[in-house]
Amino acid sequence: MDEPITELEISPAVSENSRHAYWMKQALLMGEKALQVGETPVGCVLVHDDQLVGSGMNDTNRSLNGTRHAEFLAIAELLQSHPKSLLQSTDLYVTVEPCVMCASALKQYRIRSVYFGCANDRFGGTGGVLSLHSDRSIDPPYLVYGGLFQKEAIMLLRRFYIQENEKAPNPRPKKNRELNTAFDEQNENEGENDGNVLLAP
Amino acid sequence: MDLAETIKSIQPLKGEVVPIRTIQETQPPEKFDDAYVAEVNVKAASKVIKALDAAFPRDVSLPMSHLRRFAKRNMLPQHLLSALEADSATTPTTNGQTIFVLISPPLPAVETLQTLLAPYAPVPRRRSSATPPVNSPGLSSPIASPASPEPQPPKIRLLKTRIPIYAPFNANQAEQWTRKMWPVVFNPAAPRSTVAPPPQILNRALDSIKPRAGYYLSLARKVADESKQSGRGRGVGAVVVDPAIEAEIETKAWEQCRNANERWMDAVVSVGGDARYGRSEAGAPSQADKHPGVAPNPASTSYHADLEGGPDLHALMRATELVARRRREDTEHQAQYASSLTPVIASDPQLSNKLSPLESYFLYEVCGTHSTAALDHPVAPLSPRKRKHEDPNPETGMASLNVNPEASIQDTPSIMPLPAPPPSSMALADPTIPTPSIDPTNPISNDERNATPLPQTSRIRTRAEGGYLCTDLDIYLSHEPCMCCSMGMLLSRFRAVIFPRTGRMLSGGIASEPIIGPTPVDYDSDDDNKENIGKGDETAADRVYYGLHWRKELNWRALGFEFVEFEGDEEEGNWTEVVADHGDGEDQVFHA
Repeated sequence: MDEPITELEISPAVSENSRHAYWMKQALLMGEKALQVGETPVGCVLVHDDQLVGSGMNDTNRSLNGTRHAEFLAIAELLQSHPKSLLQSTDLYVTVEPCVMCASALKQYRIRSVYFGCANDRFGGTGGVLSLHSDRSIDPPYLVYGGLFQKEAIMLLRRFYIQENEKAPNPRPKKNRELNTAFDEQNENEGENDGNVLLAP
Repeated sequence: MDLAETIKSIQPLKGEVVPIRTIQETQPPEKFDDAYVAEVNVKAASKVIKALDAAFPRDVSLPMSHLRRFAKRNMLPQHLLSALEADSATTPTTNGQTIFVLISPPLPAVETLQTLLAPYAPVPRRRSSATPPVNSPGLSSPIASPASPEPQPPKIRLLKTRIPIYAPFNANQAEQWTRKMWPVVFNPAAPRSTVAPPPQILNRALDSIKPRAGYYLSLARKVADESKQSGRGRGVGAVVVDPAIEAEIETKAWEQCRNANERWMDAVVSVGGDARYGRSEAGAPSQADKHPGVAPNPASTSYHADLEGGPDLHALMRATELVARRRREDTEHQAQYASSLTPVIASDPQLSNKLSPLESYFLYEVCGTHSTAALDHPVAPLSPRKRKHEDPNPETGMASLNVNPEASIQDTPSIMPLPAPPPSSMALADPTIPTPSIDPTNPISNDERNATPLPQTSRIRTRAEGGYLCTDLDIYLSHEPCMCCSMGMLLSRFRAVIFPRTGRMLSGGIASEPIIGPTPVDYDSDDDNKENIGKGDETAADRVYYGLHWRKELNWRALGFEFVEFEGDEEEGNWTEVVADHGDGEDQVFHA
């Protein structure tokens, strides 16, 4: 059922020195913020005409709502000053591949294109597990490019898990910690996969 | 009639709860690839394996344990036998002391393979009795023999066959593949939890869902209707139920010789209605505000992406957010986050501060005695648990969930001391709680602090009571959730998702196959809406079947059920109107 995604490469030259790189760094900064407040460090920014129109980070721990991923927060911020239709000409830069939920949401919100850092082979919805960005649906497909600063994105995640481990005496986050290990391993693998994660329109 | 009365008078849908098969069951992965079959000396079999494994390390991610490594001649499928016979004219016949080994993909070059296997070639049959006894069959060391000039140089026969990459789903499939491709083993004991929920888990959940599903779905439709009639959303509703409270209700009712189903509403922990037209964008009036008093909202007559709000305003996402919102009101949580430098969160994107009457009723106004008592003991067995992908049997956790509440009920006296009221109501007045989170940039906290006064207890377990996201809860929906909501359901760790088959959506994320067999009542027999769903004419061409509730690739899994309404039942009258005039024509094409 899942159609293979066409690969679209971001050349190293482009990835180091372009506006894409600039915006992905902004997304990474959002990830850093998430890390500081104990959220899974995933950050994103929405960019329209080279302007920042929204930014978000994971908010599941604070909100106690497992669906409050960075993408939703960024979109909510965008909607405070712009109509939804702006998303049709807006790009998303996110440190980790959008999950299945977000990949579908981004389609329903009609994002123009998505640039992500590291892939997510557990939950990824833009090629990691499913390919919702290109699957047949009542909404049009969108473009996806992956692998931009993937190492930085992975390092953010690793730092998060180390930090959690240091909190070990705290009984409460125990479950979270185990869950996070799963993610960690995944990203370990991702790291070894360097360069193969470039995705696709 | 007040809400409590309205809810009490709800008539259950009549029908049957049917498990939704998983995608692994409905679309068993069948992938085939080319493999080589080589005839080798049977006595060298173990050496052959060693040589092959050393030269071509196996791909651990692709276990081929369902394929026999060796096959005797009489086990070969017909096409290989025929190939052998055709070949035997040109190849020297062997002495029969041979066996066939499978070389599975990725395939090495033929020459490499020939060289590697040459030492283990079958020993040619002696045609002449004058053959020196030294080389008697089977005794010669195959490694030494290649050098021997006298017999023909050993020749490895390589045949090609197709092989199934994935393990067979059942014995029939194994038998068929064995006959056509290569001997295949079906192992019924192989971990199948990735394929489908273990039957005992499924059946236990089914037993707990069956008796009251009709009520909860009926309520979901009431919530849907409320959304639609308010103009705030499409007619989609969600009801979150705690099976632990249901178990408690059943025990109590049994003790008091009452019908447990009378108190079905006591197990509802939150309801959420679709509110996709209710959110303001860029400060402009929302779609609902633009058409005050007009219902259904004019935007619902078609699917126009710009008017659709977003999936975070869908019923499932809102019901989930309301559970979270209620927990955020807990003192402890507020204290924890008030002192941290939580960055700004955009204002109430899911309208969780704008509750409909039904939403508000279930979130704040009810705190029945049943629920209070129910909260008090199943906490330990219901503590959050995870089902990790790596866990070979992720369902054991669910099994214990289903067993333990019963056990604890039997073990504990029926009269339980009431729990101390959570201090949530004091939170508002507590001067020790710092107020810095009342920050103009963080309107959520403001609103939540000033929201409806909190009752003493909630049916929603706090985190201290073991409540974690929607772990162990069931969600009943008027329609099949969209892909986004389906994954949101998994990320929220629901135990099960249940929706009426008539609520299937072309954009849904749960169904795994077209409707087969007897179809439910045709609600729309008197209109000619071709796009209508749930009529049994849905085909694979109409939509993609994701069966997201239980996919082997995903870390989280939930049970999925469809409710198939009985035909010719009187009770459906009300809903016929609600659903059938969902719109005129095309509007079944939207995300629920």
